[in-house]
Amino acid sequence: MSGEPTPAAGEKKPLLVNRKRQFPAIYFALGLLVLFIVLFSIGNKGFLSAYNVRNIGMSASILLAVGLGQVCTILTGGIDLSVGGLMSLVSVLFMVLLPMVGYWAYPICILVGVFAGYLNGNLLSRVRIPSFIATLGTGGIFVSVAYLISPVAISAPKAIQPLLEIVNGTTFGVRNILIIGALMFVGFLVLERYTIIGRHIFYVGSNVRMSWLSGLNVTRIKNVAFSLSGFGAAVAGIMLASRQYSGYPTIGTVYILNSIATVVVGGTAMTGGAGGALNTLIGAIIMSVLQNGMTVVGIDVYFQQTLLGLLIILSVAVTFDRSKLAIIK
Amino acid sequence: MSENILELNNIVKTFPGVIALKNVSMSVRRNEILGLVGENGAGKSTLMKILIGLYQPDSGEFLLRGEPAMLKDPDSAMRAGIGMVFQEGCMIPNLTVMENIFLSHEENFRKYGLLSRSSMVREANKVLSAVKLHVDPNTLVAELSAADKQMVEIARLLWLLRQYGQENPILILDEPTTVLLREEVQTLFEILTELKKSASIVFISHRLEEVIENTDRIVILKDGEFVKEMPSHEADMARVEGLLVGHGFSDDRYHESDQNEPADEIMLEVKDLVHEGQFAPISFTLRRGEVLSLVGLIGSGKEEVCRCLSGLAPADGGTVAVQGKRAFIRTPKDAIRAGIGYIPVDRRSDGLALDLNVEENINLLVLKKYQTGPFSNLKSEHQNAKFWVKENNIKTPSLRTRTANLSGGNQQKVVLSKWLSSSVKVLIVDHPTRGIDVGAKDEIYRRLRSLSDEGMSIIVMCDTLEEDIGLSHRMIIMKDGAFVREVPCPRSEKPRPVDIIGYVV
Repeated sequence: MSGEPTPAAGEKKPLLVNRKRQFPAIYFALGLLVLFIVLFSIGNKGFLSAYNVRNIGMSASILLAVGLGQVCTILTGGIDLSVGGLMSLVSVLFMVLLPMVGYWAYPICILVGVFAGYLNGNLLSRVRIPSFIATLGTGGIFVSVAYLISPVAISAPKAIQPLLEIVNGTTFGVRNILIIGALMFVGFLVLERYTIIGRHIFYVGSNVRMSWLSGLNVTRIKNVAFSLSGFGAAVAGIMLASRQYSGYPTIGTVYILNSIATVVVGGTAMTGGAGGALNTLIGAIIMSVLQNGMTVVGIDVYFQQTLLGLLIILSVAVTFDRSKLAIIK
Repeated sequence: MSENILELNNIVKTFPGVIALKNVSMSVRRNEILGLVGENGAGKSTLMKILIGLYQPDSGEFLLRGEPAMLKDPDSAMRAGIGMVFQEGCMIPNLTVMENIFLSHEENFRKYGLLSRSSMVREANKVLSAVKLHVDPNTLVAELSAADKQMVEIARLLWLLRQYGQENPILILDEPTTVLLREEVQTLFEILTELKKSASIVFISHRLEEVIENTDRIVILKDGEFVKEMPSHEADMARVEGLLVGHGFSDDRYHESDQNEPADEIMLEVKDLVHEGQFAPISFTLRRGEVLSLVGLIGSGKEEVCRCLSGLAPADGGTVAVQGKRAFIRTPKDAIRAGIGYIPVDRRSDGLALDLNVEENINLLVLKKYQTGPFSNLKSEHQNAKFWVKENNIKTPSLRTRTANLSGGNQQKVVLSKWLSSSVKVLIVDHPTRGIDVGAKDEIYRRLRSLSDEGMSIIVMCDTLEEDIGLSHRMIIMKDGAFVREVPCPRSEKPRPVDIIGYVV
């Protein structure tokens, strides 16, 4: 009595009911990517040059880092709006710490990121504040802390610039930042497919009540998801600060929207339970191709924002699971 | 002017694999209170949903005031003079009483383009006094008692039906008395008797005594078929009960002939389990391979006992022991660790991750088991899923099919497979065949039977008394939160439903 359609008289009872939503979102994302690459290379012959492709790769790596973290929260049905603030905080902290403690700045900043994410997770799972509101709040706090540490941009003095080679250098001819991005991708992929905690994130995102009834520790799983988001934001913040040779409180602001766009455009559903690392990789590449391509082809900067917004709306419309009718938290 | 305000002739309604209504014919007369009785799954809800326009019959005639009724949705039904108060209640808790009564009809109280709260209050008071309810129309519905909420809904229904001005409107009340105290039931029937003068009332209830006492006529449904209609003054409990559950016992529908004696080992021992306000201290034991059915109406406490055992709600006192080992169950995780599994009644919202595929759903509880080192061994998980698909005869195009796309019966089998994969020793099965077609039902009966043979201890709550009797070794009847009686159901001597029903209602 659940509203399934009645088969007509004589028709064989279908094995499957409800054939909607069989089309995997990932094909949609790949299609978009190919489309954009074709369009932009027609628009400008320099688009596919080695130099430009490497630029696309490098900005994609940053998007990938923060996007992989963000996808963990979105997969559980939540969202992390504090990534921008956290990236900014980490960038400032990173620049402050490098002259003081050298290479230790790297692990310290990453731990700060993980801890910040853990804080977000607890606000959601223990204090029971919807993640939308909680992370909006903590994002603001992170930016404020960044301002407290340094109201102005901190540049990397010549002395410590060698320490930035971890991101800016090359290994066997490949830019390190690309390697880090690739490693993160592989790491998250393994997490989501081969580890229990990664797979539990999918179960929780698909049906949190069922997960609880089946004995899953939903609190812990959400905490882990948000800690991973903090981790991703921290890595992205370090990458960004290294590339720009400076850290400042607004360096990450644009990534709040961009990280969500990366996740969504790659085909992960905001309703949770579907999508993942591969989708995010494609999303990061699409976003990077789009931003680079639009500039190279000469589209007005403000119009770029419009196109990006339209793309996000389109992606969500295609992937949103309306049968869940959940309010986005 | 015909006596019948409403006539249903040979109504048939089917859902995939299930015939909900088989040639049901029924009429509602002017100025009468008609009692409609039947077990769960008898077809009462489906029939009423047709009356209020939620469903369309597949075939048959529906005449309203002599004309064929064209009701495409509840709104058209309301305009035609038919309305229903649902058992679960249908009001908005954060709005006031009067806002609920006049919901979506606020334009009647417009004064100079704005809402006139004073005229709403005045009208609300009039409406509420008609149902003898003395609450301030400005009270929030969330603050009302269940009984008062019920009366507000009836008041709303009355007001709406009057708005549309059809002669002799029909009010359908679905189990209105479950939430009422004795005095309140009295009041309700006084109001209904008054109402009868200008309307007809269809009264659905499990409480046979009430129905017989307070209605003019009774209609009995069973298994989607019309059984009998009789004037209430000619009816008596025994007769109605017998017609309700059937005298006979279907031959081996529940594979009773395969029922074997359970072993002696005690798997589950429940002592003085109690939950304040829901059920009084209850004790029972369950042996290895035994099937125990918990029987009772809504409010009997049987569902709440199962909730405590499976960790959905913590008990207030008492002890639970599995295989002699004391278990402290406060969350589902505790229950699972103790070896108690729970197959929920609502498989879509509580049993499955619909986005995920068959393989993923089956393996949820055993991810740790099928690991090599710190990582999952997808191959062994795949083997596990393959095994259960074959074992439970799950019809699916592939292991990677999203469970959302499976039929109800197969979804239920996936849920069962998930629990059987893990090492539960006691399985609580909540209405195993609800909403499932006949073919799949048989498979589930067979499976439960073989499970008990293999040593699984099972607590089951079924949709019909017949199913409870057929499946179980013994039965515990609960009423109003307390243990009433234990009834053995041995293979050779299954009690008849008609003999049991007396203890239940």
